[in-house]
This record gives sequence, C-alpha cells and structure tokens, in this order.
Amino acid sequence: MSESILPLAAVLTSAVAVVLIVASYRRPNIREGWSVLAALTQFGIVFSMLPGVLDGTVYKWSLQQSLGVEFLAGIDFVLRADLLGMLFALLASFLWIFTSFYATGYMRGLDEHDQTRFFAAFAASLSSAVGIAFAGNLVTIFVFYELLSLVTYPLVAHDGDREARIAGRKYIAYTFFGGGVILLAGTVMVYWLTSQTGTATTAFESGGIGALAEGAATDPTAAQITFYLLITGFAVKAAVMPLHSWLADAMVAPTPVSGLLHAVAVVKSGAFGIARVILEVYGPETIRDLPLSVPGIGEVGLNVPLAILAAFTLTAASIIALRKDHLKRRLAYSTTAQLSYIVLGLSMLHPYAILGALFHIPAHAFAKLTLFFCAGSVHVETHTDYISDMAGIGKRMPLTMSAFTIGAAGMAGMPLIAGFVSKFYMLLGAGYVGGEYWLFAAALLLSGVLNIAYFWPVVYTAFFESEDRHDAKPLLEFPAGGIRQFVGDELATDGGNRDEEPELNSDDDSGAGADSDADSEADYEFAVDQYPSDADVPGGPGGSSAEGDADSGVKTGTETAGTGHDHGHAVAHDDQHEHHGGPPAGGWTRHSPLTESTWLMLGPIVVIATGAVVLGVIPGHAAFLDLATEIVTSVFDANSLEQLRGPLSAALEVSTQ
Amino acid sequence: MSSVDLLLPLLVAVPMLLSTVPIALGLRFDRTGWSVAALTTTALVAATTTLANVVYTDGVVTHKLGGWSPAYGIELVLDEFSALIAVLVAVTAAGVLAYTRVGGPRGNTFYSGYLLLTGGLLGISVTGDVFNLFVFLEIVGLATYAMIASGDGPESAVAALKYLILGTVGASMYLIGVGLIFMATGTLNMGVLAEVLPAAVERDPTLVRAGFAFVFVGFSMKVAQWPLHTWQPDAYQHAPDGVTPVIAALVSTAYAYAFGRLLYSVFGPEFLTSTPYLTELVVTVGCVSVVAGSALAVIQTDVKRMFAFSSVSQFGLIVAAYGLVTESAFIGATIHLVGHAVIKAGLFAAAGLIAINYDARTVDEYAGLADEHPIVAGTMALLLVSLIGIPPSAGFVGKWYIALGAVEAQLWPVAVVILFSTLLTLAYSARLLEKMYFTPATPLEAPHVSESVATDGGENEDDAETAAGADAANDGDAGARGGTDTAALEAITANRDRNTVSYGMLALVVATALLAISLGFAGGFLADLLDPSFITEVFN
Repeated sequence: MSESILPLAAVLTSAVAVVLIVASYRRPNIREGWSVLAALTQFGIVFSMLPGVLDGTVYKWSLQQSLGVEFLAGIDFVLRADLLGMLFALLASFLWIFTSFYATGYMRGLDEHDQTRFFAAFAASLSSAVGIAFAGNLVTIFVFYELLSLVTYPLVAHDGDREARIAGRKYIAYTFFGGGVILLAGTVMVYWLTSQTGTATTAFESGGIGALAEGAATDPTAAQITFYLLITGFAVKAAVMPLHSWLADAMVAPTPVSGLLHAVAVVKSGAFGIARVILEVYGPETIRDLPLSVPGIGEVGLNVPLAILAAFTLTAASIIALRKDHLKRRLAYSTTAQLSYIVLGLSMLHPYAILGALFHIPAHAFAKLTLFFCAGSVHVETHTDYISDMAGIGKRMPLTMSAFTIGAAGMAGMPLIAGFVSKFYMLLGAGYVGGEYWLFAAALLLSGVLNIAYFWPVVYTAFFESEDRHDAKPLLEFPAGGIRQFVGDELATDGGNRDEEPELNSDDDSGAGADSDADSEADYEFAVDQYPSDADVPGGPGGSSAEGDADSGVKTGTETAGTGHDHGHAVAHDDQHEHHGGPPAGGWTRHSPLTESTWLMLGPIVVIATGAVVLGVIPGHAAFLDLATEIVTSVFDANSLEQLRGPLSAALEVSTQ
Repeated sequence: MSSVDLLLPLLVAVPMLLSTVPIALGLRFDRTGWSVAALTTTALVAATTTLANVVYTDGVVTHKLGGWSPAYGIELVLDEFSALIAVLVAVTAAGVLAYTRVGGPRGNTFYSGYLLLTGGLLGISVTGDVFNLFVFLEIVGLATYAMIASGDGPESAVAALKYLILGTVGASMYLIGVGLIFMATGTLNMGVLAEVLPAAVERDPTLVRAGFAFVFVGFSMKVAQWPLHTWQPDAYQHAPDGVTPVIAALVSTAYAYAFGRLLYSVFGPEFLTSTPYLTELVVTVGCVSVVAGSALAVIQTDVKRMFAFSSVSQFGLIVAAYGLVTESAFIGATIHLVGHAVIKAGLFAAAGLIAINYDARTVDEYAGLADEHPIVAGTMALLLVSLIGIPPSAGFVGKWYIALGAVEAQLWPVAVVILFSTLLTLAYSARLLEKMYFTPATPLEAPHVSESVATDGGENEDDAETAAGADAANDGDAGARGGTDTAALEAITANRDRNTVSYGMLALVVATALLAISLGFAGGFLADLLDPSFITEVFN
C-alpha cells in the first residue's frame, strides 16, 4: 500500500479533458487533439503503475487522508490501483487511444451534429470508467457507476430523433434502476451488515471483506439478499438477461460509442463490478458458506443461480443474434452473450474459471471493438447497416472485412485469437469442479458453435457472394438451405407486377438504389415483415406502424395481386430514410485496402485486430494474463496457479493454509 | 463570548424592525427596498455564521427574553440542529436578492414583506417555545401570502387565498395541539416540556397523544404532505418568479425543521417509539407523499408546478426519515432539508430566469433550450442531477443516510420506497433533461418574445419597457432584454449587457448548482455537525 496521487490523476485526466474539449468547441482539430492527448496521458499514467502493481504494490489515494474531507460518515472516498482495477483501467485507457482517432474519423465522415458534446461526454465516460476500475470501496464504485450512467446518456440519445430519445429513456431507466436503486440498496446493506459485527465498512479486500463474512455468519439471509442486490445492480450494465434489452436499443448511438462503451467500458463495468463483488466483497469462501436451501432440490450454492442465468443468457442471446439483420444489433446480442461468459466464469468460483473470466474481459474487448469498428467503417463508407445488403462488400472494403473475420473468429473462440485462451481456462475450471458444472461447459461450447453460426454468414456474404446473387439473410428466417436470390432487372422474384416496377423505384428515395437494389430490398422487406424479429428494420419504433402497413400491403398484394402490393412497398420505403445502404448501381467498386476508407478509421481497426491476435498467440507477454493470474492467486492466497488445480474445495483449502 | 447570546433576539428583531424602513423611505425614494434588504440579509449572514461558529465550537447558545425564567418566559435557543437551518435561511435570503434585483418584484413593499419573512423564518429556527413557534409560523405565513399575492394576474390572488385558508387551518391545528399539551403539562418551553412530558404521558396518555395528533396534522398541512398538499403547487406556480425560490427553499424547510424539532426535542424518541402506530403513521404519510408527489410531478406540463410536486415528494422523504427514529435517518433528514433547499432554490431561480427571458414555462417549451442557452441549461441539468441523487451531490448524501436509517430500523418497505424514489425523481427530471438537450426546438416557438417582460411582476414603473426585445433578437444572444426606464437602468449600469439576465441571476443559479455538488462531498462534515452532541443528547 503506497500513498499516491496517480489513481486520481488517471481519473482526472479525462475529466480535465472534458473542460478543454468544451472550451475549444470552435476548433475541431484542437478539440480532437485534447481527446487524443488525454487518452495518451491517461494510458501513460495507468501504464506507469503497471510494474508496481504486478509486484504487489497498491497505489492508493484517499480523500480523507489527502484533504481531510470525510465523504460520508465512516466512509472514505478511495481510489486504489490494485491488480483487478489495473486490468480494467489498462484495458479501457489503452483502447480509448485508438477509439479517439476512430471517433474523429467516424464523426467527421458522417458530418455529425453536436460533436463537442459527443467528445466531451466520451471523455467523461472514460473518466468514470477508470474511476470504477480504481474505486476502493463500494460507495466509491457506486459514485462512478452512477456518473457513468449519467454521462453515457447523452451519447445514447445523441441523434436527438424519436428513436434515440426512446432508447435514451430506456437506457437511463435501466441503468438507474440498476445503480441508484439496487446497487445503492446493496451498498447500504453491506454497510449495515458489517456494522452489526464491528466497524462498518465497504472497502474491498482481496478474498472478501472480513467483517462481512462475520456479518453473514450471524444473518445469512440478509447476506444472501445483499449478494443478489449487488449482483443485480451490476448485472444491469453487464446486460445479463432479463435486464439486457437496453443494450440492443443503445445501438442507435454512434458506432464509437457502441464500440468502446457498449462493448467495453460500460458493459464491462458491470462485469467488473460483479468480479469485485465475488472476489473482493464476499470472496469465494463466504459465497460457498452461504448455500441457499431450495425446496425440492436441497442446498444450492449462492453462485449457482447466477451461473444458470449467465449460461441461459449466453445461449439465448446467441440464438437471438442469429435472427438479427442489423449488423450492430447482431453485435449487441453477441456482446450480451459474451459478457455472460465473464459472469459465468466468475460465478463458477473455481480459480481457473475465474482466470478465464478475467482474461475474457480484455479478450472480448479487443475482438468486439474490432467488429464494431468494422461495422462503423462500413456504415460511414457505404451507409450499409443490414447484413442482407452486404453481399460482396469484401470487394469494397477488403481490409475492414478481413479484420471483421479476425474479430469474429475471436468471438467464436478459435485458437490463436484472444477468445480461445479465456474460454479454454473457463472450460478447464468447469472440468475441475465437475458434477453438474459440465452443463455450463456444454453451454460454453454450444455458444461457440452459435457464434460461428451468426458470424460466418457475414463473412461469407462479404467475400464469397455477389451483389446480384446471394442467399437471403438472415438465414434463420428462411427455409433450411436458404433461398437463393437471383436479382436482375427482369426478374421479379416476389411475383410482383412488372408494370409497377418503375413506380417502385421512384419511391425509393435513396438515390443510390438501382433496380436491382430496390428489388432485393423489397424481397428482404417481405421476409422480415412476415417473421418480424427485427423491431427496428424499417427505421426503428417509429416505423413499426408503417411496418404493419407494409405487411398488410404485401399480404394483400400477394393475395389480390393488385395495387395493394405496390402501396405496401411504397410505405415501407418512404419510412426508410435511414435504410439506404446496399451496393450502388453496378455493384461494389473494387478498392485496395489502402483506399477503402480514411486512415483515421483503418489505423485503429488494424491495431485493435492485431491486439486480438497478440492476446491469442502470446497471452503471457501481453500483461493481461499476468494480471488475471496474479488476481486469482491473491484471492485464493496461493503462490502459483498450479497449486489451485483440482476441485473447488481443494482450491479453497489452499487459502486457509 | 458571554454576550454572543444577545445576537439571538437581534436575528429576529432586526429584520422585522427594518421591514418598516423600505415603506418609510418609500415616501421619498423609489427604490430603496432592495438596498435595505441586501444590507440586512448580509448582516444576518454574518450574525448567523458567527453564532453557528460559537455553537459548533462551544455548544448551545441560549437567550432568555427579558430575563424571564424559561418556565414562564420565552427562550431562544440555537443548537447544532437549528444553527444549520438559521445559516441556511440567512444565506438563501441574501442569495435570492441577487435574483430579485433585476428579475423579481421590485416594489418597496415587496422588500418589507421579504424582510418580515426572513425574520419569521429565523424566529422559527431559534425559538425554544412552542407557542412562540406558532407566532412565528403565522408571521411567516402572512408574509408568504402577501408575497404570493404580489404576482400579477388573478391566479396569484387565488393561490394566495388558498394558501391563506389552508395555511391558517394548519397553523390552527398546531395551536390546538399546543393547547392540549399545555393542558397536560402546564408549560410551553421546549426544554421543560421534554422533561415533564414522560410524566404527563403516564398520567394521561390520551391528552398528549391527541396533542401530538393535532401537531402532526397541522405540520403535514404546512409541510405539504399528500393529501394536504393542495395549496402548495398553486402557490409555487403562481408566485412571482423571484419569490418562488425563497418560498420553496425556506418556508417548507423551516416548517419541516420545526416539525423535526418538536418530534425529537419535545416529544422525544421514546414517546415516538412507545406510542402505538405513531411511527408507522408518520412513515406512511411520508412514503405516500414520496410516491404521490413524484407521480403528480411526472404528469405536470408547467415546470414550476412540476418542481412544486417534486417538493411534496422530497419532503415526504424527510417526514418518512423523521418517522424512522434512528440516528442515521435523523442526520439524513437534516442534510436533506439543507440539500433540498439549495437545490430547489436553484431550480426555481433557473425556471424563473428561463420564464422571464425566454418565455418558456411548460416542459414542451423547454425544447432545444440547451442549444440556445447552454449555461442556464447546463446548470439546471446539474441541479436536476443532484435532485435525482446522483453522487456526488447534496441529494445523494441525504438519501444515503435516510436509506441507511431505514435499513437500520429494518423497515424494509420504507427502505424500498426511499430507494425507488430515485427512479421516481428520475422520471420527471429526465423528462426535462431530454426536452432541453435532445428535442429540437420547433420553429414555431420563437424563443425571443418581448412580451416576457410583463411576467416579472414588476411594479408599474417598469411596464413601459417592452420594445427593446427586437434588438436583443438581432443580437441572437439570450432573450429579450426588456429595456427599463432610466431609474432601473441606473440600478444595473454596472453590467450593462443587452439582456435581462443579470449576472446576479446567473450567479445565483450557478452558485446553487456548485453548492449542491460540493455538498455532495460534505456528507461526513454535515453529519459531524450533528453527531456527537445533538444526536447523543436526543437519542442517548
């Protein structure tokens, strides 16, 4: 433990950047310069603490000791750079460097409004995320957790249209329910429980708060409720079902936000919070000592319901992802699934599973950020958001889609990419525990298969299909084997009336759409309307009624083959100003990797994708695995990971020796 | 420091006596009210902070009026609890003057009422006598009626009348309660009452309980607890914009303080817990107000009315905290009293500022405000965030202690209501935030409406001033600055911008926002003010 101002400096760096960004709102280059500078400074500060932290030093800054201000009676405001905090802070601040370049390219590429607010809120989010990482007790983490909800709200509602506002409302309702209500309740309960047996405290201790373990022994029911309150509070941000639905809606935000915040900083703050609760508030041993007695089954570990929920989430979210045609939404459900990997690994309690879960935090971050960056880059360059429009896009954006392939492989847990390492350790942990935990292992493996099922079509359609000849997407919506689309000027596969085709084209206001384009969209519309799984397909909730119109129009069209058909399409297209993607007339133009986009976006994509590979090939040399290993051994009080092999009870024995 | 207690009667007497001065000088000069009020409140700030300093270092300050023994005479007491409220009253009263100088009602009579109100509020804070408390309640009530009625338009008069009737009923209820307690004990001094009440309860529990019941109902009405709150939204909405911050921040706060004083210093925790169903009732009234107030706030279209219902809900939290009878809950209630007062003063001042200059009074008219007036919108956002209780802010600190108190009392339903109040507050706050930041202004709603000047409730001499709106619109800057007549111009030559938003108004709003945030770090400090001495004395 050493007194140091470095943790505070890391948090304040981006907070100061907020002020500077707002102040230089007239000069975009300087404004974005502050973002980059703050990102570099923050990463530098965090990185400077890494060697010390790996050697066991804990850098601590306390409001009371440095300024003499007591935050709340009996509770100090503490920022503490320890092993677990470093894992998250290092990740968030490292990725922010590249995201700030990418965001510049993205926001300028789309000529977005309110860029100052965007970059200011972005910097504030990073400040809060690092604050969450370095928080030294439950109250401090609560402060930053709430601030993070607050400052990410402007990013979600950024577009300012109806869809964005509704998504923003949902976002803020979910996150404040999780934070301001549930997490605060849990924090108050911890304070009360510890005050029962001694000095009230909420400070994290590796392996669990001692006073809380005593409090739990005297009042096990309250301790169990508190555990679930804390977990639920963090699980909202970690998007564990049934509290996940804000995440998919939050995809209306600009892609850098979806990428860094809604795949890394915000959602991982939830997963990170769960890690803090399991490892440093309760500790594996206390959790094991508090079994729930379930009628009809007998005693069940406190962690098991959470693990079951996580296993369910990762399977169900993967299945939902299969049906999503909007690429960012598919990625969002993939995020939901992947975060539950982390939660599942942590809740299995076995050291190896925890190691896997902790390593999955950076592993998923690198791979998913690559995927989002690619999706955003495709959006900026071609305005294509829907997978069904992406046939042959590999010609247009070869480098981007190659990076996408790497990220997708990482998600699926292919060897040599980051995701494999973490999943390997989690499976190992499940295996060591044995018994019913094989079910969790099976869920992990099944999810891997599903990952391939929903990512491979994207890669396949990008590289191996062509604009005028591809399977209808999403595959799950169509009969097994897929429906081959022959899209040409003369062919109307929807059985439409050829006479009305010109009218249809005039309704398509995209300008870029040629006959073939409009026609393929029409088909695709039909498919999705018939099995509406994407609520947002024609442009969000606002379009739902229009969607209904289109649907009925199409139905009457097919039944009576009259004007109703055309009407349906007209409504659908009128409502679709957002959805004007897809290949231009004459198909995608072929670009070389160097000319497909600006370096502001390509650079970050290449770096992050490389990072995903590095983490997969040489995880032992990339800091994160070392950190995760150190965390696990310190929680279980072991000298090395080898000691912790074997069943969970044996691993817990090590700590009592 | 033996003579420091002499300041106590001066706290009350000086503003009341000086309240006649603006009228007297008004016979010769047009605008002296503000200066007199400013001088007086500044002196009061100095006096209360001096006294508070003595209280928190050396302990309780008491003063026996006229040297009478407390058993018969009136005693003034400043202890750790009341010192906080006295400072709050003085500082807020002085601060809001920064707003009224340009924005508020301007007549000399208004400032007479203002000083009378300040004196009454300080009287409530320092009195140690239950009947004397009634007198101050009435003084505050009368001054408030007058100030609400000074708004233009018939609604203000109706609102004032409504408040007059209901407020007087509330005060009368309290007086009946005091009468019953006097019957039971034979004394009116709070300190003495606390000693003799336990014996009186043993002799005749019904009498004391009936007395408590009247006191409770009276204060529920004064503090505006659901369903006795109906006077409050009208009063807050229709009061002149410069008056609402004072009333919202101080009047209900002082009433709630008096209620807490009676509960804990007169009746005492033992009476509260030993009387069957008493705490349950208090807690229920508080919790119902929290829920009902927030629900009603969500459906309002007028911003000031929405904040008024928000006050119903926030005072519900405080009353519920009183009913929990734990140390943490009491600390929480006190901190929330102060925090809420600061936040609401800022919010109402901001709403008034926006209403006067941009003519936006309903939630829908706030659309796009952030683009046009980033500073006002940003400040309002900060204040709303504090109100929701997002740390670090005053709202969070109060809620933390109250929630902790509920958990310590193991009253789980109450804990649930208190924690869920965050979401309820969020519901109406987020509505406003979303309007300001993410809803584009519709082109029909021209933000520069020169008519707005009439809404400042100014006296007659200010009314010939609507024309200047146009050149402010050319400026593209902030709203219409109604030109003022020469006298008013002289008053504000120091900051002669073409805008009715004076620096004073902006400074007040920004200062409250900063104070609300910085109080978020003062949780331990505020608890320390009460904790060792007052809390142990009450809860022993």
